[in-house]
Amino acid sequence: MSEVAAVDARVELAGIPLRSPVLTASGTFGYGREFAPFLDLRRIGGFVAKSLTLEPRRGNPPPRIAEAPSGMLNAISLENVGVDAFVREKLPALPDGVVVIASIFETEIDRYAEVAKRLSGARLVAGLEVNASCPHVKSGGIEFGQNPAVLAGLVRAVRRATSLPLLVKLSPNVTDIGEMARVCEAEGADGLSLINSVQALEVDVERRRPVLSNVLGGLSGPAIRPIALRMVWQARRAVKLPICGMGGITSGDDAVKFLLCGATAVQVGTQNYLDPSAAGAVADGIESYCARHGFRRVADLIGALQTPGR
Amino acid sequence: MTSPLVPGVPIRAEATVRALHGEGGVNHRLVLRVPGWPGFLAGQFVMLSPGPLGAAPRTDPLLPRPMAVYRERASDGDPEIEILFKRHGRGTALLADCRPGARVGLVGPLGRGFPAVAAPRALLVAGGTGIASVYELAARLLRRDASGVTVLLGARSAQDLMGEGDFAALGVRLEIATEDGSRGTRGLVTDLLEAALAQAAPAHVYACGPTAMMRRCAEIASARGAGCSVSLENPMACGFGVCLGCAAPLRSGAFALVCRDGPVFDASAVDWERMP
Repeated sequence: MSEVAAVDARVELAGIPLRSPVLTASGTFGYGREFAPFLDLRRIGGFVAKSLTLEPRRGNPPPRIAEAPSGMLNAISLENVGVDAFVREKLPALPDGVVVIASIFETEIDRYAEVAKRLSGARLVAGLEVNASCPHVKSGGIEFGQNPAVLAGLVRAVRRATSLPLLVKLSPNVTDIGEMARVCEAEGADGLSLINSVQALEVDVERRRPVLSNVLGGLSGPAIRPIALRMVWQARRAVKLPICGMGGITSGDDAVKFLLCGATAVQVGTQNYLDPSAAGAVADGIESYCARHGFRRVADLIGALQTPGR
Repeated sequence: MTSPLVPGVPIRAEATVRALHGEGGVNHRLVLRVPGWPGFLAGQFVMLSPGPLGAAPRTDPLLPRPMAVYRERASDGDPEIEILFKRHGRGTALLADCRPGARVGLVGPLGRGFPAVAAPRALLVAGGTGIASVYELAARLLRRDASGVTVLLGARSAQDLMGEGDFAALGVRLEIATEDGSRGTRGLVTDLLEAALAQAAPAHVYACGPTAMMRRCAEIASARGAGCSVSLENPMACGFGVCLGCAAPLRSGAFALVCRDGPVFDASAVDWERMP
């Protein structure tokens, strides 16, 4: 694969230098160590760890997952070990050279900021991803990422709490993704991650019940890829912030689509369940695409979508 | 009493279908050639995803299916494993339609398998597809102590019964119950367990099958003071502890992951009331 070796895959995302534009998505990759039998984490750009809260958090009762056409729904409810156990037990289990982006999540803005503080300076943590898709208690259960004023307050508070590079992971469950992107840019975010899963419902028709105990879940997988591409493209046109694109990526060609629509890097999510070495194959696939089409640098693909009449 | 387990280290492999046999009704036997197969512990499972359909990438159904490893086979080339399964949904239909030479994505072996419990008698109770989980356990227990192993198999009817000939060939003491009486005793396999536990010698019960069957096994074993290990079969997306989809409620109030903490659990630790 000498022609692949000639491709320069490096990109810089929100001030974080990455050896490859391929990361893995929060909630699909545990704390990294689970993938040790299948994938060398230093072969990909890095991984986004499972969202962390101040205290350990227990998830929803089963059933927590449901299959859907070319996708799946999940309603895990952000079960995690808590930020302190992550720093104390999970990070030390990882080898040097792994790039970790820590995902943070909470129900109140002050608590988000506290989680961010506790991760600042932790070994291997190169940046934070703010999961803004949690229902906000004080706003009557609406997601942080669905209300521009609430989102602004969240990004402002976390920005003050840390000097780490800050990505904000946006909810797709909004009317105007560009408006949310502009709010993040104005409040000092360093980049955007999109999209999170799409709110969805699946029904067990025999039992006339929702499949999930939580009733509603988040749809992920190839089913949402065209929606994700659309939102990356719209956000790209709305702001100058670098974008980490995700939604149903299964191959190098899928990832290239996100780069062409303006993403600087990508995350592989649900595909990790089917194939725990998938992120490595996606990284190789991007380089093969570049070799096939005469691109010396992966970075040259970013935003290279040729739209008619523009 | 319980010896520690060293799980087989899982691999991700492209397996090749060597053979696929119909075994009556919806029962199928799949033989996979698996390069690099590391061997497995009785009770471990694999996640299987049938590959692309011809030139078309396949994304529907999306998720791999957890399948017990039935047994390994000697082969002149790469190691081979057998999977016994029932065609009852979209994923198993895809598997059942595979032809020899077809590629199947495989991750495994996964999970912790059955504990080796020291007891004078081992009673293995299996119903439906759960039968596939206990064959290797029976074989390994027999090698250790040929006299104290009894297998109780249950099915709706003779046609639904899987693997009877294999268990008979092992030389294990075998009892069968079918709900319609078309094979063995008419009734439930749990009735056979009640009768077996009525004997005085202490026993350990190993059970795999529908949730209602395993719950009943747990109750019967508990009433007789026998230990009971159950192998749970919750739906899961990954099989190695990251999707968190296969949570099983424990009596402690916590959730365990069937894939990582199981699939075998001490039946007395499971909160059967809250099992879906």
